[in-house]
Amino acid sequence: MASDLPYAADAEVSLSYDELEVLRLQYQKELAQDYVTVQTKFNYAWGLVKAPIREHQVEGVRLLQELYRAEPTRRRECLYYLALGHYKMGNFEEAKKFNALLMEKEPSNMQAMSLAQLIDRGVAREGYIGMALVGGAAAIGTLLVAGLIRRATRK
Amino acid sequence: MPSTSQGGSSNDNKHNAPRAALEPLVTAASSSSSGPTKFELVQNAILSRFTHRKHDSTKILSDLAPVIMTPRMINSTANASLRRQTIGPVPQSRSKLDFATLGRAPLRLGGSRRITSGDLQIVEATEELLLTDIPEPDGLASDVSLLRGFNATIPSAEASRTRRRQMRNVETPRLGLKKLGMSARGLLTEGEEDGHDGQSVTSEEDVVVVPREGHGKGKRRGRESLSAAKTLGKDELTRQSKEIMRDKENIHVRRSLIHNEISEISLKIAALDGIRVKLEQDLLRLHEDELELDDELEGVKERLEFEQSQRPQKAAASQPFHLPHTSRRRKGPAFLPSEHDELPPGVAFMTLDGHSTPLTALDFSEPYGTLVSASQADPQPRVWDLFSGAEIGRLRGHTDSVRCVQVEDHVCLTGGADGSVRLWDLRRVDMDGEGEGEGERGGWGDGEIVMLGEIAEEGEEGGSVAGDEEVTESGIRNGNVNGKQRATERDDCCARVLEGHTKAVTALYFEDDCLVTGASDKTLRQWDLSTGQCVMTMDILWAISHPQRTPSGLLPMANAMFSGAAASVGTFAVPTPPYADGSWDMYEDFVGGVQFWGYGLVSGSGDGAVRMWDMRTGQAHRTLLGHSAPVTCLQFDEIHIASGSLDKTIRIWDLRAGGVFETLKYDHAVTALQFDTRKIVAATGENGIKVYNRTSMQHSTLQINGHTKPVERLRYMDRYMVSGGRDSAVKIWSL
Repeated sequence: MASDLPYAADAEVSLSYDELEVLRLQYQKELAQDYVTVQTKFNYAWGLVKAPIREHQVEGVRLLQELYRAEPTRRRECLYYLALGHYKMGNFEEAKKFNALLMEKEPSNMQAMSLAQLIDRGVAREGYIGMALVGGAAAIGTLLVAGLIRRATRK
Repeated sequence: MPSTSQGGSSNDNKHNAPRAALEPLVTAASSSSSGPTKFELVQNAILSRFTHRKHDSTKILSDLAPVIMTPRMINSTANASLRRQTIGPVPQSRSKLDFATLGRAPLRLGGSRRITSGDLQIVEATEELLLTDIPEPDGLASDVSLLRGFNATIPSAEASRTRRRQMRNVETPRLGLKKLGMSARGLLTEGEEDGHDGQSVTSEEDVVVVPREGHGKGKRRGRESLSAAKTLGKDELTRQSKEIMRDKENIHVRRSLIHNEISEISLKIAALDGIRVKLEQDLLRLHEDELELDDELEGVKERLEFEQSQRPQKAAASQPFHLPHTSRRRKGPAFLPSEHDELPPGVAFMTLDGHSTPLTALDFSEPYGTLVSASQADPQPRVWDLFSGAEIGRLRGHTDSVRCVQVEDHVCLTGGADGSVRLWDLRRVDMDGEGEGEGERGGWGDGEIVMLGEIAEEGEEGGSVAGDEEVTESGIRNGNVNGKQRATERDDCCARVLEGHTKAVTALYFEDDCLVTGASDKTLRQWDLSTGQCVMTMDILWAISHPQRTPSGLLPMANAMFSGAAASVGTFAVPTPPYADGSWDMYEDFVGGVQFWGYGLVSGSGDGAVRMWDMRTGQAHRTLLGHSAPVTCLQFDEIHIASGSLDKTIRIWDLRAGGVFETLKYDHAVTALQFDTRKIVAATGENGIKVYNRTSMQHSTLQINGHTKPVERLRYMDRYMVSGGRDSAVKIWSL
């Protein structure tokens, strides 16, 4: 199957404001007519996901989820885009879930595999931060404990 | 140490609680395809104390930092277990409370970003989305991926085209084209603007004089085409050709997208159309139900009046001539035994065999009541009990076949081919198993079949001895078995035999005390049943030859021929079109059907005309022309008249205006019909009975266990129908 999926780096490149505005207008025009085509919705959602502002990314993922629900034929592609969106937002758990499901369906997908690695790397990075936090909190804790003991022994 | 641990834990709880609140969904991770990373190993090592895995390294590490690990982890794992949900595939690491989530805590607490409802919505939706089915993409989805469509339809797709266009812009001195254009449109042109307004785009094919030095010179240099002014270079041109190819592909993509959308919309429209058709059918059904309810209401009102009028007369003895409300005009539902509801509709559930010749007339008093049926070449109609399906007796008196019957409660009127009309009291049939005349007339009562044979053989002996009847009647009634005496009894000369017509009586209708008959002598007679006298005679021939001014126009040629034929030739005989089985007769009934209400009478006759008479004056005040063959059956209600004829049609006329409302075409001649507001039931020369639904305009046929030869006569009341056919069988249907 020809899967034409963008690499994760593509999601970091955002559209210009004017382009996003055009897509938004197109989407809203079709929304007013009560019939939104799949392509318009995807265009707008993808433009939003690529944007740097988090609200836009959230909205983009929400639109992608609607697409996922509505179009069974497009679900496989949407899996990837949803995983990418979640990864960009930092929801590594969800990203991992979607990506895993995609890998089940298509084990040899290059973009999916690279995304999996990226997600793991992101998780690891956060973990290191967590470990540092733990260490710092432990240090503060021991200091407090020492202070309390000293106060207690002094009395 | 407990105090320190508490202090430590209280501090950490502060971190724990908000973090736990921020992650309502703590789900087990799905399997990751890559092997455990180094980070995961460390993580598992440190936390394995709570995953029940026994490793030496883990034990050492956990011993090293018990103070920190224990309270926080306990709290966290406790919270996590409350909210943990597992998904299908077996999770490999059970606790998600690991360093990753810890690392995320400061970011979340930092306040740089708040969790919005959108975030929560997304996360919560993930669960259900993962559970939905993912089919193989086919059709458009496999041809054109979303990204491809994206690249084809975003505005920047147009960028290469505009770029190419701009490449073709040639530097020329300003021509002031915009000013020209604006003034051509009638707009005010403003002051000259500088060239930054955009270069005018001119076609490459144009050959334009480009003055290089202003207007002063006037000399024309050699014309140079604009395309020569610029060189683009090979690289640029190849790039442009590639871009053009890509743009063409984009167009192809967009075309297939639009095709897909169009086909989807067509499918949706078709589905909606289907729904609309169903809804319209539902509307029709509602209309039918409403008509039925209207009829029921009328029936209930009549019953109310009837019962109220009955009450004062309860004590009085029932009169022999208590003629009830006519059943032909009654509209409401009839009283049926409860078992009738269990019958499947459209099925002939009872067959009465007894006749040996095709049926000519039938009528019944009420469903599961008494049926009187007559057949060809048999002067004695049979009386049946519809409840049991057994023959009660026969009506003796006619000397030729009986052509028309009407039964109301226990009173029966028959018109025979011998020109006489007889009135019968059906109650007396029960007594001795024989048909009888009315009180004054006399009749005999005898149950033995042997005697019947004797009497039949003895023929016309006691032809016209009126006096004997009076005297011997009671004697016979007592069951005196005397063949001779019985032989002298004849009903031909009874007072309640209504004589007057000279030819066969082919149609009759009575209500209360008034009877109207039509006969082949081309007259209609009105009788008073209480006295037995003919009150009026209406001559159809006279009406034919003195046509009133009719609003429906000229006589069609066929009718003229018919009327001429009817007037000149003595006997009226028309060959019927063949029935479904190929047989055909000579149709000789000049009057096919009569019905009256109040003083308005409607008759259908052999000249194909439906005439409306005023019984007070005896004149036909309106003639409805349209049929091209004799009318064989007729019925009217407040709004419509329905007439069926040998020309294979049923016409529905508007009673007041006199125009044709509807014409139903069939394959064979129509011999009998009955209608109400919702349906028309007709015998049209086939084995099956045709039913036409007036609200939905659908035709259907009743055939199950039906006749084996064409149906001749039928009559229905509410959901109970009786039909007689040429196969000499009487069949009873549930509608």
